[in-house]
Amino acid sequence: MISLKGVTKRFGNRVAVRSLDLEIPRGRIFGLLGHNGAGKSTTIGMLLGQIFPDDGKIFIRGSDVFSERSRALARVGAIFETPAFYDYLSGATNLRILCEYTARSDPGRLKEVIRLVGLESRIHDRVGTYSHGMRQRLALAQALLPDPDLLILDEPNEGLDPEGIHEMRNLILKLNREWEMTILVSSHLLSEMQQLCSHLAVMREGRLLFSDEWHQLKQEQKRIRIGADRQPEAEKELVQAGLVLDFDGNGRGRMANGREPADIAEWLVHHGYRVEVIAPEKRTLEDFYLEMIRAERGG
Amino acid sequence: MFFVQLKNELLKLFARKRTYIGFGAFVAVECMILLLLQLPRAKKAFRDLLTSNGYGFEEYYSGLTLGLLMILFTGFLLGGLYLALVSGDVVAKEVEEGTMRMILARPISRLRLLWIKWLACVIYTFALVVFIGTTSLLAGVIYRRGLGGLFIFAPQDHLFAVFNTREGLWRFARGILFLSLSAQITSTMGFMFSCFKMRPAAATILTLSVMFMDFVLRNIPYFSSFQNYFITYHTHCWVRTFHDVVPWWSIAESLLYLGALNMTFWIVGAMGFCSRDFKS
Repeated sequence: MISLKGVTKRFGNRVAVRSLDLEIPRGRIFGLLGHNGAGKSTTIGMLLGQIFPDDGKIFIRGSDVFSERSRALARVGAIFETPAFYDYLSGATNLRILCEYTARSDPGRLKEVIRLVGLESRIHDRVGTYSHGMRQRLALAQALLPDPDLLILDEPNEGLDPEGIHEMRNLILKLNREWEMTILVSSHLLSEMQQLCSHLAVMREGRLLFSDEWHQLKQEQKRIRIGADRQPEAEKELVQAGLVLDFDGNGRGRMANGREPADIAEWLVHHGYRVEVIAPEKRTLEDFYLEMIRAERGG
Repeated sequence: MFFVQLKNELLKLFARKRTYIGFGAFVAVECMILLLLQLPRAKKAFRDLLTSNGYGFEEYYSGLTLGLLMILFTGFLLGGLYLALVSGDVVAKEVEEGTMRMILARPISRLRLLWIKWLACVIYTFALVVFIGTTSLLAGVIYRRGLGGLFIFAPQDHLFAVFNTREGLWRFARGILFLSLSAQITSTMGFMFSCFKMRPAAATILTLSVMFMDFVLRNIPYFSSFQNYFITYHTHCWVRTFHDVVPWWSIAESLLYLGALNMTFWIVGAMGFCSRDFKS
């Protein structure tokens, strides 16, 4: 669906994106992770043709974003970190104006999208009177207007309360499941990304560190949490014995390949440790992300 | 789609309260001028000028004359200010507020977008000038209870002319039309600056600075021999339509000069805009 080949972008002396090669498959929810300044928003800006890359090519559905802009962006919707509207106009007028930059507005489509995001009761009020959550929903509505097959969401949960985050998550999942939409999400909320994304890419300082399916990562590297009476000693000896690869300082460690929690429990007891806690743990996206960043820093 | 987009652009422009500052300001200034003209000294100066040249005060101290007077004295400064304010906003304000990013997420070409924004400025310019002309004339007619003859005295243009009501009204209307054409240069200059990476206020100030500097330089006596290089010399061409024998060639030359400058500003602005990156 989306293909970036050797994309580089500099702002003055700073390299914001460095030789980025990324493929985003059709029909998936793809997460783009990274720290502030990693290059995520710059990448999204280039995808939408708002930022010109210094090198490389970007394709959406096989069309070059810059030389075939109309075709590439024909069925693309986007939400930005802080969606902006004409506050002195109503939500409905805003949607109509934004829609008519590319096609005549279809009242039926407008109605459908407004209903989907739950803004029927306030759509004729001035956007300046909207809450942040309502503005985000209006932003989603304008992104859905062109009947997109690709949705690009840059920090869609920014400023939302927990209920709003929950609603946004369900809506994104519904759009992917029922409308078969390809969705690219950039967010800091790792817990949300873990629930949403089937594929992930991690960026750091403009470079792509990782890009793969999330469920593959979940299955790699089993984890365990242990609690013993001489914790630091137990952790050190488990690593030396080759049963655990490392510990994170909170009693959680990555088991060596082929090892099971029972092996670790047996070893601890055999070596005179009083076992207080031993529990296998699922690897979270946060675990994976932090490991990756630490490894990158260490390397 | 083009006219739909232009209509939306005009809706955005005219739905903003600040667009009407210029309209309101001119009505206020017109009332103030009329008020000040009631002062005996002001009336006396007028009377002396007319009677010393053999013309009747009552006939030519008229609605038409006062209407034109208000435009002559306020058009350049105030008109320039409000045109620069709106045109300086037209692109830069949307960039500043973030709506430009929303628009450019759509598959609309940047040139097309600029084209409709500039046309909206052109229409606003025309609307403001027509408004100024209409309200000035209306204010003058209400104050003097009638149109009367038209008297115009503009020494810097070597202009002293009187016309009867019919001819005067036709000249007035035509003058407004030419004023709306020559005022486009201020709008297009503001539009050009607005296309670059700067705040709306900066675009407005730059436009006004250029126009005022041009005006000041033009009025320095030592530069009189090359005054036809100055923008404000050409923007003043609408006044020449009030000469007894209208110098059409000179007016055409001025309008062509301004037209060429308009095109240049548009192209420079478009180049700046089309090469920009838009980030949050």
